[in-house]
Amino acid sequence: MIRIRIKKRSSKKILLTLVAILVSIPMIFPLYWILISSLKTDAEIFATPQTFFPHHIIFDNYIEQLQAAGTLQAFFNSLLIAGGSMILSVSLAVPCAYGLAKFRMYGKGVFIMTFLVTQMLPSSLVLTPLFLTYNKLNLLNTYWAPILSTATISIPFVVLVLRPIFREIPGEIEEAARIDGCNRFTAFFRIILPLGKSGLVTAMTFSFIYGWNDLIYSITFNSLEILRPMTAAIYNYIDLYGTRWNMIMAYGIILVIPIVIIFVFLQKYVVDGLISGSVKG
Amino acid sequence: MKGKEKFREMLYGYCFTLPALLFMIGLIGYPIIYNVVISFQDMTVQSFNMGNISFAGIDNYKQILSDPVFGISFKNTVLFTVACIVIQFSIGFALAILFSRDFRLAKPLRGFLIISWMIPTTVTALMFKYILSADGILNDLLLHLRLTRGPVGWLISEKTAIWGTIIANVWVGIPFNMLLLSTGLCNISQDIYESASIDGAKAFQRFFYITLPMMKQSILSVLVLGVVYTFKVFDLIYVMTGGGPVNATEVLSLYSYRNSFKYYNFGIGAAGANILFVCLFLVGLIYLRMIGKEELNDTDKDKKKKF
Repeated sequence: MIRIRIKKRSSKKILLTLVAILVSIPMIFPLYWILISSLKTDAEIFATPQTFFPHHIIFDNYIEQLQAAGTLQAFFNSLLIAGGSMILSVSLAVPCAYGLAKFRMYGKGVFIMTFLVTQMLPSSLVLTPLFLTYNKLNLLNTYWAPILSTATISIPFVVLVLRPIFREIPGEIEEAARIDGCNRFTAFFRIILPLGKSGLVTAMTFSFIYGWNDLIYSITFNSLEILRPMTAAIYNYIDLYGTRWNMIMAYGIILVIPIVIIFVFLQKYVVDGLISGSVKG
Repeated sequence: MKGKEKFREMLYGYCFTLPALLFMIGLIGYPIIYNVVISFQDMTVQSFNMGNISFAGIDNYKQILSDPVFGISFKNTVLFTVACIVIQFSIGFALAILFSRDFRLAKPLRGFLIISWMIPTTVTALMFKYILSADGILNDLLLHLRLTRGPVGWLISEKTAIWGTIIANVWVGIPFNMLLLSTGLCNISQDIYESASIDGAKAFQRFFYITLPMMKQSILSVLVLGVVYTFKVFDLIYVMTGGGPVNATEVLSLYSYRNSFKYYNFGIGAAGANILFVCLFLVGLIYLRMIGKEELNDTDKDKKKKF
């Protein structure tokens, strides 16, 4: 009797697994398709019907892209914008989240509300005024323009994700630290930050991704080619390469690599952050 | 003494809080107000450089509302949003239920699907531009299965272009909806289902009388967030079609962008962005009423125990 039931259960599980794989195919296929297309020869990319498995796998597209003068510069620009945006957002937003979690003050409700609202604003709303303001401050065509602008997306997100985490830390820990001679600031750096480490990783991951993925701020504020991040460069390649999709996809893969690395090593933090911040910028 | 201590605590609080707040006021708050000012001015690149900007009253808004392209872009934005939400929510919900079942691949597969959210929108857009191109793989597949007679001009035909962009957007939206809804599902205790099935409740009854009512909160916030994030779509359509062919995929954010940074008519661009903002604001109000109370309430600590 028991054996039959177990058998029935496991066959149900196999069925579930099969269904899950089947419905995941359309979700995963596009990723397979960019990877495979980036490895195809020109002849094969123009062939009809297209080949699901390339006959010749070549890395020439990658070599050609990496040898192109602009690629490394664009990669460096992306890294600089994403890294700069991350450092700025985390150093401003993390203390703010702590302040809003642990201190009584006037206007706290309004402050939190402000972050909730700004998190939902469209970037096109501030595009025109920021362009004119940056123009006056001579910030157009500098790295600062995309760094400052993408930080405005990350900061509200980080504040809202970290505040509940800081609130969970019992007040006794801080009190003990202060009896041992810490003031409010040293207690924050020595005691609170290490305790909120997982939240800190989430904050850094998201602010990096927001900076790395930015397109709109860079194309609007920076017209100089030398400042272009990879997202803006690949957009301009459509005109350059026309329908040489293997070249475009190879560039796309290079652009996605840091994201894949983050995904492999920090997936837990991304999922946690998405759930508690539930945000898509 | 007590009052003094309270004051000191508040001072420390502001030290932690104000830098980020001032940054946001400078780069978001001030621009929003400036944007309203621009929208009432006759500001073009010439008048801006010459410094002879004149007050225009509501002329910019009048001009936008009488512009047929604005009407088209508004209609497209609404169609895009509604179609994306309906598709990504229903499929995302179905996947959330599927992946909430206990089988070995459930967790890794669910986690893997999240990568579509992390990929730069620019890459997603180009990827789908390739897949949906006239001699792309989707047409190959449809022709092979004899579902269409000739190749579909997904992004180059006025009728189908918006659906091409919807397909791409939904590919990102489905995993996002699935993830948020499956955390809502996990919070429902299995005991309720068990006792319901003992009482003879069928699967669809359990879904409509237990699952749906218990997930009301997460369903509402997923829908509202989805509407807000879909309504302001920019990158995806900008890269895939640039609004074309012949305005078939023109949306509000693109309309505003084009006026400001292609025609350099900042007044019109700002007014267009403001209309987009008002639409989002109305949706946002619903969200704030739902979430805001919970977020602002310091005493109920366990509601946010998500980590």
